[in-house]
Amino acid sequence: MNDREQRMADSLVSIFEKVLVAEEKSLQKDYFKNLSLAEMHTLDAIGPYESRTMTETAQILGVTVGTLTVAIDRLVKKGYVERCRDEKDRRVVRISLTRDGKLAARMHGKFHKVLAKHILEPYTDKEQDMLLGLVTDVEDYLNTQVSRYDDNSDTKQTAKKVAADVRRRKKND
Amino acid sequence: MTDNDVPRERMEDKKDQIYEDLLNILTEELGVSPTDVNPTLDIRDDLAFDSLQLYSFIITVEEAYDIRITDEQIDKVHTMNDLVDMVCDIINQ
Repeated sequence: MNDREQRMADSLVSIFEKVLVAEEKSLQKDYFKNLSLAEMHTLDAIGPYESRTMTETAQILGVTVGTLTVAIDRLVKKGYVERCRDEKDRRVVRISLTRDGKLAARMHGKFHKVLAKHILEPYTDKEQDMLLGLVTDVEDYLNTQVSRYDDNSDTKQTAKKVAADVRRRKKND
Repeated sequence: MTDNDVPRERMEDKKDQIYEDLLNILTEELGVSPTDVNPTLDIRDDLAFDSLQLYSFIITVEEAYDIRITDEQIDKVHTMNDLVDMVCDIINQ
């Protein structure tokens, strides 16, 4: 690994950790101390205006409906989420945010926006576009990596490709 | 009075009604004294609203009119008059 790659690796890990730490700390010192970061992200996934089914919300969060049910039970008890029956199909349960839930989700959304605003602020419009382009490239690359693991056959295929590349390099050495 | 004046007059009535509604929300739900509120009042500076109070106010307005107000729209609002104009625009969209 060369120096640039090492710095990139360090920065990626550091950014990931620090965003999480900053989010946790902002929750702890703010009005929503009884919400964990995971719970806040569940509120985000439901959204301030929508009522969603459990299946939809579980898909957005990438968790099973069983896992989500436990989380929603807790959020209902804390007063951030409410359950209601679908008006068209009474068998379907929909979840939506209470007023406190909406308030928490909007405050948390604002935290993300302020963070982004402060990061972009020192740069010119042109530099901001360039920075956003580079960040989007990183995000696209990471999305590709994540989707590889969602499909086992792709993962195997990629693992095979990596192994072939290593063999080829060794042969050339 | 020309034909064009009629809708303008109705619009002004509508804005007056929205101003009254917002005043009620501020005084009844957020405990602001009615004498502290006027059309040119700066919502953030003059009322010293923190972001939680501001969002609480905005969510109540959204629920009252069944509308959505984005953060970008909130950022553009400074005075009560700005808020009345914005709510009126959103309702008319």
